[in-house]
Formats: sequence, C-alpha cells, structure tokens
Amino acid sequence: MAALDLNAIRAIVEGRLATELAIVPVIPVVFHNVAYTPTPGSTWAQCSVSFSNNNYLTMGSTAGASNSVIGVIVVNIFSAKGVGSGANLTVGKRVRDLYNRIVVSGVRFDPPTGPEVVATPSPEGYFQTQVRMTFETFEDL
Amino acid sequence: MAFYRGEQGSVKFDDAGTTTATIASTRSWSMTIEKDVLETTALGATYKSNIGGLIAGSGSVELIYSASSADETNTFIEAANNPTDQGGAAFELFLDTTGTKKIIFNGLITSADYSATVGELEVITCNFVTTGTITTSI
Repeated sequence: MAALDLNAIRAIVEGRLATELAIVPVIPVVFHNVAYTPTPGSTWAQCSVSFSNNNYLTMGSTAGASNSVIGVIVVNIFSAKGVGSGANLTVGKRVRDLYNRIVVSGVRFDPPTGPEVVATPSPEGYFQTQVRMTFETFEDL
Repeated sequence: MAFYRGEQGSVKFDDAGTTTATIASTRSWSMTIEKDVLETTALGATYKSNIGGLIAGSGSVELIYSASSADETNTFIEAANNPTDQGGAAFELFLDTTGTKKIIFNGLITSADYSATVGELEVITCNFVTTGTITTSI
C-alpha cells in the first residue's frame, strides 16, 4: 500500500489513447505540454489529463486508510473544415469506446461526454469536437 | 485545544469476544448510550424527580464493501445472519488513532443494510446493540 503514482495513472490514460490512434487509420495525438504543429486540414487529436477532487473514503490516518482520487480526461478532436462531421465523429467513437465504463489497473473510467462540437475551434481552421470523461482511482495508504 | 476528526476513528471487532481486529474500510460509526429513567417524585411535590435505571447502547457502523476476508470484516458484515448469536462479540469503537480513546462493550449485530447503486461505492451498514457493561474510555 502506498500513495498513488500520478504518472503511472497518466501513462495508463495516455497509453490507451496512443495505442488506439496508432491503429490504421493512424491519427496523430498530442499530449499535455508537448509542442505540435498540425498539418493544415489534417485530422489529429489533443489529450489532457488532470487530477481534480481527492476525498476521504475510509477512517484511518497515513496507514490502512483509503482515499478517492478523481481526474478528468479531455480529448479534442480536430478534422478538416467544411467537409462535414463524419470523419471527426468516427475518431470520437474510437476515443469514446476506449474508456467507456472500463476499468484498467484500478482506474475506473466513467461514461464519456461528447463528442461535443466546439463552436470556436482552437486552433482555428479546423472542425473541432471534444470528448470528456472523469475517472476515479483509489489510493490505499 | 485538541479537536478530532472522523477519519481518526476506527472500529475493531471479534465475534468470539476475545482478540479484536480492525474492520476494513470503515467509513463511519455512531453509538447512543441510553439510560432508563425512573420517576421518584414524592406525592405533593412541586417538581418531578428521577433516578437513573438500566443502561444500554445501540449504534451502527458503515463500511465500504471491499470483499475483505483476511480479518474480522467478513464475519462482521455477515453477523446479522447468524441465528445462534449469543451476544458475546467484542466491539471497540475508537475516537482517535492512538487507540486510547474508545468505547468497549460486548454485543451483537442486529441488522445489516447492503446496497449497490450505479456509479457509487457499495456500502454496508451494520446496526448493533450492547450486552452487559459498556466502558467509555474517552
């Protein structure tokens, strides 16, 4: 029993997405705090993992106790502008299916929200949707 | 002034009434000690008077289901289904992590509420009553 390894959880989340989007048709994916210059008109994805609420789960101090750690995954999907939403939603389904109610190494992914269309894409020049989901893991001290 | 928070508490239990062990994943406990009141008001008195009578306790322990079986936890959550319970199980309800502030008694589990709700942790609430002496070392 030990405090959570946040990078191990991040690796689980990002690793699943990287593996999935490496399958043909390959979709480039960029993660938090990594520079990326997209090819204009291409399809690509951006993933960020954040840790948010931490809560007491059980009685106890620094040993024999459990906490709940909740995080959020946001995946932005960019595709060519002016050609409809189909290609974008195809990627969105791949992302959604990747986490929907799945438990991996103690990380429980909740049902995803989206893909929601983003009214003002950032960067501009793309059609953008966003898939968001929370996840929870338990820290056993 | 020292104050205490709920996470400093814990619960120990032994169905055989000897060596207690910690109940895993305990989320909360509560206990009420009640004393019977006997009225001793004299005829013609203006104000009532009372004396204390028999004392008994009851309460509940809420825990998160973890399928723990290596300790007393599984026995604890199944105790309500024991038809030959003699009331000799040992309980220790702790108020702090040092293990010195506690309520000690023998008793029995009278009911257990098991629940599972989509999207939430599975919680079991066990209700108990005391048998015999209650020691408050708090």
